[in-house]
Amino acid sequence: MVIKVTPRPPRTRPLIRLFLASGVAASALVAVPAQAAHAQPATDDSKDGKGGKKVLTIAVSQSIDSLSPFLAQRLTSTTVHRLAYEYLTNYGPKDGRPIPGFATAWAPSPDKLTWTYTIRTDSTWSDGTQATAEDAAWTFNKMMTDPNAATANGSFTANFKKVTAPDPRTLVIELKKPQATMTALDVPIVPKHVWEKVGDFSKFNNDQSFPIVGNGPFVVTDFKVDQYLKLTPNKKFWRGAPKFDELVLKYYKDNDAAVAALRKGEVSFVPNLTPAQAASLKNAENIKVNDAPGRRFFALATNPGARSKDGKTFGSGHRALLDPAVRKALFLSVDRRTIVDKVFQGHAVEGEGYIPPRFGSYFWKPAPTQKLTHDPAKAAQILDQAGYKKDGTGRRTGKDGKQLDFRILCHATDPNDKAVGKYLQEWWGKLGIGLKVDCLDNVSDPWAKGDYDLAFDGWSVNPDPDYVLSIHTCGALPATPKDTGATDNFICDRQFDELYARQSVEYDAAKRADLVKRMQSRLYDTGYMNVMVYPNAVEAYRTDQISSITTMPEDGGNLWGQDGYWSWWSAVPAGEGGTGAGGGSSSSAGVVVGIGAAVVAAVAAGLFLMLRRRSTADDRE
Amino acid sequence: MTTVPTTTSLAWARRRNAVARFWQRYRSHRAGLYGLAGLALIAALALAAPLVVGDDVQSVTDAPGGALESPSGRFPLGTDQFGRSLLGLLVWGARVSLAVGLLAAALSVAIGTLVGIVAGHYGGWFSTVLMRVTDWFLVMPALVLAIVLATVLSRSMWTVILAIGITSWPTTARLVRAQTIAVESRPYIERARALGGGHGHVMTRHVLPNVMPLVLAQTTLGISTAILTEATLAFLGLGDPTVVSWGGMLQDAREAGAVSAGHWWYLAPPGIAIALVALAFTLCGRAIESVLNPKLGVGR
Repeated sequence: MVIKVTPRPPRTRPLIRLFLASGVAASALVAVPAQAAHAQPATDDSKDGKGGKKVLTIAVSQSIDSLSPFLAQRLTSTTVHRLAYEYLTNYGPKDGRPIPGFATAWAPSPDKLTWTYTIRTDSTWSDGTQATAEDAAWTFNKMMTDPNAATANGSFTANFKKVTAPDPRTLVIELKKPQATMTALDVPIVPKHVWEKVGDFSKFNNDQSFPIVGNGPFVVTDFKVDQYLKLTPNKKFWRGAPKFDELVLKYYKDNDAAVAALRKGEVSFVPNLTPAQAASLKNAENIKVNDAPGRRFFALATNPGARSKDGKTFGSGHRALLDPAVRKALFLSVDRRTIVDKVFQGHAVEGEGYIPPRFGSYFWKPAPTQKLTHDPAKAAQILDQAGYKKDGTGRRTGKDGKQLDFRILCHATDPNDKAVGKYLQEWWGKLGIGLKVDCLDNVSDPWAKGDYDLAFDGWSVNPDPDYVLSIHTCGALPATPKDTGATDNFICDRQFDELYARQSVEYDAAKRADLVKRMQSRLYDTGYMNVMVYPNAVEAYRTDQISSITTMPEDGGNLWGQDGYWSWWSAVPAGEGGTGAGGGSSSSAGVVVGIGAAVVAAVAAGLFLMLRRRSTADDRE
Repeated sequence: MTTVPTTTSLAWARRRNAVARFWQRYRSHRAGLYGLAGLALIAALALAAPLVVGDDVQSVTDAPGGALESPSGRFPLGTDQFGRSLLGLLVWGARVSLAVGLLAAALSVAIGTLVGIVAGHYGGWFSTVLMRVTDWFLVMPALVLAIVLATVLSRSMWTVILAIGITSWPTTARLVRAQTIAVESRPYIERARALGGGHGHVMTRHVLPNVMPLVLAQTTLGISTAILTEATLAFLGLGDPTVVSWGGMLQDAREAGAVSAGHWWYLAPPGIAIALVALAFTLCGRAIESVLNPKLGVGR
């Protein structure tokens, strides 16, 4: 076959195309793997000792949703608010009990409906104005009157009747009915003289003028979306100024890059390590790995038939999951021990009740008779008895004669979801039930629409359990199928709601704890959720940059995402000898660079071949 | 020689000859032979994977080893975070990577050929419209488009095949269109038309066989791109997480923190495997290309 070729002018077009293609492809392909290699700081001030300035750099990955305390809900944002603002009360680093914050003392009235807080006199805003009870009253009143200001923390003020500040040292809150969370109001108090100028609270993100006026231990001085957030110490902070000269939250979207930066001393602290990272950092010089009981639970949630307050049901949850026998069989065949050992490699605690054991007074364990221990044989027996027989192919069929096939909603960004998904597929496969793991970047949409059968669920629990319990009450359901409610998993159970109402008005700590435990017992028995593990907080910091730091709880607790500002407020910089931090990179950093280079080379080779092909293609035309 | 050769048998003899001639010329390209040998080896391994490493190599519950073990006699390439043998996974992953590569390249070339022949044959405004669509796809960064497609559609192997196939056809379309125009300007096409050959007849009986060699070369070259793209998508976490593929292994390794832990035996083998397969296909493709197009010569 002969190809007729018309003579072409000099090849200019291919060159342009080659240039464009290489630019686009190179940037797209190289971006991810190369991150590990060129994780150099934009500004080179993160090494301590530079110009005598002691900087504590924290590697973070979660984006900030808003810097407005009225909108922020993510952990990174609320952590920043803990540092930049005062709350009426704080949680003690020792055991998480309420201790004085912006308020120095508080007391309920005998009828439990009026709370009087004494506001401290030694707290000033960072612009020099005195912080008074008037600021607190304005903050709460704003949240009560403007729905846009109640977005993040509205649940705390929903029951407030009236908030007043009779004098600068006194704050009086009147309630509609008693409220147990009055010493755990996680609401940052904002300066009235700054915030009363704000127009639309749903749009104001508090990220335009710096420094941001606050009265916490740190002041936010600079912020670039997904790049960094800088804080300087508040020298006049009443509890004492923090020791570091600057605190920087620096973004690393790739955790391996953050770990490489830690090894090189570019960052001082990295949270959320994988087991492999923790194991390799354990042997590294000048790095301490902190493996602490976590605040989170990691659970399996089944769709109990999504519904709204107006009684309508919606979504596409599998009908077989409405049968308690099926749910029980599914949970019975989950081997939690294996998940702890294999997926978390020991960096987790086997799941039992709803609230993690770290919160000792509220921690509840199922009684031996109640507990769903791993027992695949019993699970198969339960399904047989309930009429879900195996067909010729070894698969179980539902009441409608179709094979049982469930979907599970998984966070594409969470490796643990995917890993546990693999185990579930095999365990339930042996039981005769099919499972499709749907990993999505955005699970909220199908979740809110009720379009799921099962889902991986997890929440960070606060020292006060009110919120994590409230998300399973009927009151949290969406108003109509089109709305989004605060509900976690569409659970609506009368018994649970009764207990919830009783605990929320109970001021006696022991009695309330007992009610909370009964709620967990009820939640366990409804069988819509099963807590698989409580993942540990695995984090690491450089001991040649931070010489001491307070964990919470003080005895073997975590550092990132505390209920308070203890870790960063208390961090003490290492002595002047710590300037040589950069030299501590070990051989595996070399391996990282080597691997990165290999990947880049492979991509370049592929690109070269591709382009060669294209260039000859143009010849042939 | 008693039998009278019929038209069909003559045609077959001619085709046999053509293949033999093709093979003879292909044989003179040493790189092409290496590529072919490598491909044969990998394909054989992938096909025999159930026999060589067993079906249960993917199982996490029956995983034989501990998490992230270093290479040893029992696990020549160590284990992954579930304790599965990485060598076994590597062999098993070849199936997905090859299947996706072949199917995606076939899809892309099929679309490209169809568009190219139709546009080249009809010409006029129809061709202009089709070519503008092609140009649009050509200027779109293919990887970005593929990522968008893979994100929007549900996660499965077929999504990845579709995403790659839909994004990589424009080059083929342009090539085939040019070739179609060249073929159609020959006198025998005019003769076929004069004898009453319709559009369909000309396109399928005369143009298609003439562009086929080009399409073949394009497919072979397209496979390596498709395999690389599949690996890229899986590495970015857009593949089916429950399917073992080479790109998926790289993604698993990254998520497990193997990079910063320095577990090169987890990262290097899938990466090298991807590079080798892509290289093998490219060598074959280039050899085919230069056999079919002597103008390219041997120097290149």
